[in-house]
Amino acid sequence: MFSRQQSRPLQRPVEAGLAPPRPSGSRVAPIYLPHQSPPRFRIVCHTLLQAAKSCKRLHDSSIRMKNARIVGTSVPRMEGRGKVTGQARYVDDMVLPGMLYGATVRSRIPRGKIKKFTFGPGIEWNEFIIVTPRDIPGKNCIALIEDDQPCLADGIVNHPEEPLLLLAHPDRHLLPKAVEAVTVEYEPLPAIFDMKESEALQQIIWGTDNTFKTYLIEKGNIDSVWQTADHIVEAKYTTGAQEQLYIENNGMIATFDLQQGLTVWGSLQCPYYIHKALMKLFGLPADRVRVVQMETGGAFGGKEEYPSMIAAHAALLAMKSGKPVKIIYDRMEDMAATTKRHPSHTRHRTAVSKDGKLLAGEIDFTIDGGAYKTLSPVVLSRGAIHAGGAYYWPSIRIRAKAVATNAPPHGAFRGFGAPQSLFAIERHMDRIAQIVGLSPVEIRRRNFLKPGQTTTTGQTVNEEIDLGKLLDRALELSDYHAKKKIFAQDNEQSPRKKGMGIAAFLHGAGFTGSGERFLGSVVGVEACDDGNLRILVSSTEFGQGTNTVLCQIVAEALGIHYEDVSIAQPDTHEVPNSGPTVASRTVMVVGKLVQSAAVGIRNTLTASGMLKDSYSPEEFRAACRAYVAAHGKLRSVAQYEQPDDIVWDEDKYRGSAYAAFAWAVYVAEVTVDLTTYSATVNDFVALQEIGRVLHPVLAKGQIIGGVAQGIGFALYEKVIWENGRMQNGQMTNYIMPTSADLPPIRVYFEELGNVHGAFGAKGIGELPMDGPAPAIVNAIEDALHISFDCIPLLPEDIFAALSENESPQTAIARAPE
Amino acid sequence: MRALPTEYELVAPRTLPDVLSLLAHEPGAWLPIAGGTDVMVQYSAGKLAARKLVSIWNLPELRSLEVMADEIQIGAGCTYTDLRAHEVILRELSLLSSSASWTGGIANQNRGTIGGNIVNASPAADSLPALMVYGAELLLVSARGERRVPYASFHISYRKTQLAPDELIRAICLKRQFSGYYAHARKVGARNAQAISKVCHAALGLLTDGVVDDIRLAMGSVAPVPIRLSETERIIRGRSIDPQLIRLARAAAAAEIRPIDDIRSTSRYRAAVAANLVGEFLEQLSVHGARSENSQKVLARWNGLQSDKAAEEILPCCGSKAWARGMTTRRPVLNEEALLAACDEVWRNLPESDWLEAYRSHPRIGDSHTPASAPVQSAAWSSAEQQKVRAAGEDVKAALAAGNREYEQKFNRIFIVCATGKSAPQILAILRRRLQNDEKTELHEAAEQQRQIAHLRLKKWLSS
Amino acid sequence: MSQSPKSREKCEISFTVNGKLETVHVHAMERLLDVLRHELGLTGTKEGCGEGECGSCSVLIDGMLVNSCLIPVLQANGTKIVTIEGLAADGRLQILQQAFLDCGGAQCGICTPGMILASLHLLEKKPQPTLEEIREGLSGNLCRCTGYMQIFDAVAEAARRGATA
Repeated sequence: MFSRQQSRPLQRPVEAGLAPPRPSGSRVAPIYLPHQSPPRFRIVCHTLLQAAKSCKRLHDSSIRMKNARIVGTSVPRMEGRGKVTGQARYVDDMVLPGMLYGATVRSRIPRGKIKKFTFGPGIEWNEFIIVTPRDIPGKNCIALIEDDQPCLADGIVNHPEEPLLLLAHPDRHLLPKAVEAVTVEYEPLPAIFDMKESEALQQIIWGTDNTFKTYLIEKGNIDSVWQTADHIVEAKYTTGAQEQLYIENNGMIATFDLQQGLTVWGSLQCPYYIHKALMKLFGLPADRVRVVQMETGGAFGGKEEYPSMIAAHAALLAMKSGKPVKIIYDRMEDMAATTKRHPSHTRHRTAVSKDGKLLAGEIDFTIDGGAYKTLSPVVLSRGAIHAGGAYYWPSIRIRAKAVATNAPPHGAFRGFGAPQSLFAIERHMDRIAQIVGLSPVEIRRRNFLKPGQTTTTGQTVNEEIDLGKLLDRALELSDYHAKKKIFAQDNEQSPRKKGMGIAAFLHGAGFTGSGERFLGSVVGVEACDDGNLRILVSSTEFGQGTNTVLCQIVAEALGIHYEDVSIAQPDTHEVPNSGPTVASRTVMVVGKLVQSAAVGIRNTLTASGMLKDSYSPEEFRAACRAYVAAHGKLRSVAQYEQPDDIVWDEDKYRGSAYAAFAWAVYVAEVTVDLTTYSATVNDFVALQEIGRVLHPVLAKGQIIGGVAQGIGFALYEKVIWENGRMQNGQMTNYIMPTSADLPPIRVYFEELGNVHGAFGAKGIGELPMDGPAPAIVNAIEDALHISFDCIPLLPEDIFAALSENESPQTAIARAPE
Repeated sequence: MRALPTEYELVAPRTLPDVLSLLAHEPGAWLPIAGGTDVMVQYSAGKLAARKLVSIWNLPELRSLEVMADEIQIGAGCTYTDLRAHEVILRELSLLSSSASWTGGIANQNRGTIGGNIVNASPAADSLPALMVYGAELLLVSARGERRVPYASFHISYRKTQLAPDELIRAICLKRQFSGYYAHARKVGARNAQAISKVCHAALGLLTDGVVDDIRLAMGSVAPVPIRLSETERIIRGRSIDPQLIRLARAAAAAEIRPIDDIRSTSRYRAAVAANLVGEFLEQLSVHGARSENSQKVLARWNGLQSDKAAEEILPCCGSKAWARGMTTRRPVLNEEALLAACDEVWRNLPESDWLEAYRSHPRIGDSHTPASAPVQSAAWSSAEQQKVRAAGEDVKAALAAGNREYEQKFNRIFIVCATGKSAPQILAILRRRLQNDEKTELHEAAEQQRQIAHLRLKKWLSS
Repeated sequence: MSQSPKSREKCEISFTVNGKLETVHVHAMERLLDVLRHELGLTGTKEGCGEGECGSCSVLIDGMLVNSCLIPVLQANGTKIVTIEGLAADGRLQILQQAFLDCGGAQCGICTPGMILASLHLLEKKPQPTLEEIREGLSGNLCRCTGYMQIFDAVAEAARRGATA
């Protein structure tokens, strides 16, 4: 039996006027101004109409605010105007007086000891600022989960492109030559480059056993089942590295002042991650490190942890030179040196009954973390928890491991472990279907999680999700059955084989388990002198709509105009730590806190007598103005408290892993052209249940963008490695889809609401990354009757498999009889 | 950006002779840069060896395109956009316009030049196989004068050409002899746009009486230079296309190329795809080439007729006398593509009254009575085009009749639609929609339908 | 344009940008992108790849869409350049810019200036483009955020609203 609980109020008591002290001399300088022109609620685009129509399915009206005016409509993007006029300021657009440019001397070998640096001829070295590890005031590390990653390699190198020295000069053109002119003498050490080698333990390159982290998730009685199972299905699946490929490269500007301390501005997702890392690196207290986010041109996780490194570098050069320093990577450096999605390897062993029911499973999920721990434990966690997919497992054992190799550390990328493990389970379900003699549709239908059942970690599904119906709807929207039939006929004679593929999956939003509790996110809402409200969060905008949705939430919660709300530029001197902008948590978790804080403002106003219970937006503004005039300040703060129904055992890795799951079924139609062996996606249906659509255009944009990246993950984006270094680090040869490559991506939503999310929303940022790859590879199998278990799947791979499996079908395609 | 601008010199002489004199003065010291889509990439990566550059961008002497009776001279400075926009190239040298459309995106097509593509000499360059099969000749110019060399031998080895250190390509010369050929090209890359080719292929074929009279096959990305598959051609030439020939040709192509493994692809893949492309071409040639053969006969005869006889013969395709006369002035018309292009151009430029004349030559949809004034052939074709309509149920026919009347009342002419392949209910839906149009929109819609009808009829005429 | 005898020194280059005549003293091989951004402070044009693949640096030169990262500034001498800053006149957004806002065509915004210029270029040549023509017209502009669909919507919507009328 399950019951829906109202969560406890999430706010601390509001104390008007007790805002954290501002360092003297600082200014609040919001860059997101209240929107000037009247709101455009009229939906003008065909696709907006479609999205709006699809939002009509409502299941829980108690969560949905009746007569919502702003939430649920596609209000103008808060910072959109700057983006379409070229006024938006990204880090490379900013110039400070006297600014120097910085660059990084990097390792060319994967592993070894540094013997000597030589500063070559032809460079005026005395014009350069040079930073070595000796210059680091605090601890030489980029503090994250562990302190094992040095800011600058100190005597030993563990991956190609590892930072060794830093250079700065007023003329940015002189830096590449200078970097080239530094030669390094190494004593090479044996290096390892893949997970297998790492696990073999011939070379220990990290810790005692090359292992960053392990998890064990167990449920039920696994071992007794093998004997009695009708089928045991075993297979292995691999996924490759993937580059986030934000179109704006990483960049930072730093200034260092003996009194004020250190300030960095940059392209980033998590100001407080950088703040923490710089405090440790410099041995500075919190109020003498300031991190400011500038407009950020795409991130996708690639700017979650890496910016701490580049910020540290710019800051060290700024400290040593006494001048502002800007470091901007070019594309080649960014691709070669920064994080990628963790490559993965999953082994499934599954006991299945003859009617296709999952009885038990063993899943060994391994990810390659590169040379240092960084975020691998967290990626591993999410991947492990999602490894069972959207199915009910009576028993399961998931062994997860993150291992070290001598590659630049792998890191956060949208999905964060789940795309890897979900690829495996969704491919595996199709395999099980074949062996048992059921269709891909039926095998899923028989095993879907149902309300009241428990997940692999024992979390009870306590919402009315009906995955069978979701599946039916996706099949209908994609014409799945009709197309499969036609394709099966046409494929006989055609050199272009077509197929349909399904992926059904879930994605947990928010930090895992006790993560949100540990974060203890804090948000603020304050009144400005003119009576408008400003949101204070460290949550960043990088295209996904943070600014817009948070302002919608405040406006809706208070019944005021969207234009009367703004959001402060994330600046650690000005905003509290609302946690990192990751894990699909911003709208859901931070949004709910912002909602609470906004209500706190109103409570203060009504309690003070300055606002009646029923008011107009203008009256609200007037009350804020009056309050601020009278008391000097009006600020409301809210902090996260874990709801009672989220209980997690960190040691046993059991319990409620996530506050909410979003659910999805994706369907891909592909064509494989046997002349070129290329697979292309012709049509794609993305159907998901996401709690509540707060902004139709933004929500749809997130799904389409994520699906596009998923298509890239499956068919186009291959990192070519040689001795731990990416060889194809250019846009010409790292292939992401262009406008000419993507099919129509058709997006549909269902809404069940969510008690733990603002206005019933669940997180959706990462969800769309999980489904495309398995759906596509399943479709390719449908087309060719060949099973592919590794991605990226390139034409060369399809050709290799076909030439091994020379069959009459393929022979027909190549020469008519 | 990994280059130091102060280390480079770039000059931009105003005329070609100035450029040539500079090159003559210091041969090999100056690297010509036109659109820069290759040179600047190397420069930005810090990999440009040359330190002195001479801009030849937009020099009028290099960017001209001359159409002569038997030859086209394409200035080396012509951009891909220039090639794509040129009518004669579209009609007669379509492999060039196709390959231009595959190169980069629009921005790079606006700057990249055909001369640059040749001189850069990447074996993966998209336009080079097309030049090979067209048997291009290059006009090379220097302060010493001009010389004409066959493109076939221009590439000596990987990125090395016959171009002397003081020379530029001035123009690419292509004979106007390929209109009757069946042309086919395909680029195989990692994605549909902005891709360096893994294999690219251009082919021309001529079938006479079912036998391959001429065949030209060229490929890129399968050897250090773009190559003609001469051995494969030899096997095909003079034979009919049957499965056995295709098998032999595929095997010959795979043997003739020298692909490698590189960052983009594997040699095995390239070999397989190359063989597939040759096979695909031969299959298509055997289907389309035959039609092409008959078209040549019809056109050749028609080209030779007296004007009024020629106009009379072609009139049923459209119904407008002015159109028919306009078509005869376009002779000689060399192939189907040219014929259809001429049709469109003539039709588009007719005054409204001539459009109306064309419409009047048709029977109403659903009606079997052709106006008496229409040619007999026109009536026969109308009947065939309205086949599906005649099969419709009575109620649909009645609705059509009513709709036709309503249309005529509103627009003062009959409703024109390209009926071929459309069912009566479909036509009825179209009619109902178009009844909502205003006069101007409807005139244009009808004109477009008429154009489609004319195309279908011209094709039938060519295969008669 | 004057050219000093020693061509590795700076030279004087003039062009109009967004209707205004500008004269700069720069090295001939400076990239036009860098001159726009650093000499003229027009930072709306972005660098995404430095190799003419991503289109973030797209500008219009004499009405033609080009990648400014691949153009030596000397070759821009005497030309008419339009950058993203040249679109909104008197602070009023052009139809195309408004359509991008309405349809979700801009997410992180870094590809947006180039994407808008490429769209403008397309609409000037084809005021009522088909979806295929839109795909092709924008195939040289990479977007990692949107998956392109809402950009296509924006261009189609702009065409419907008469963007180049």
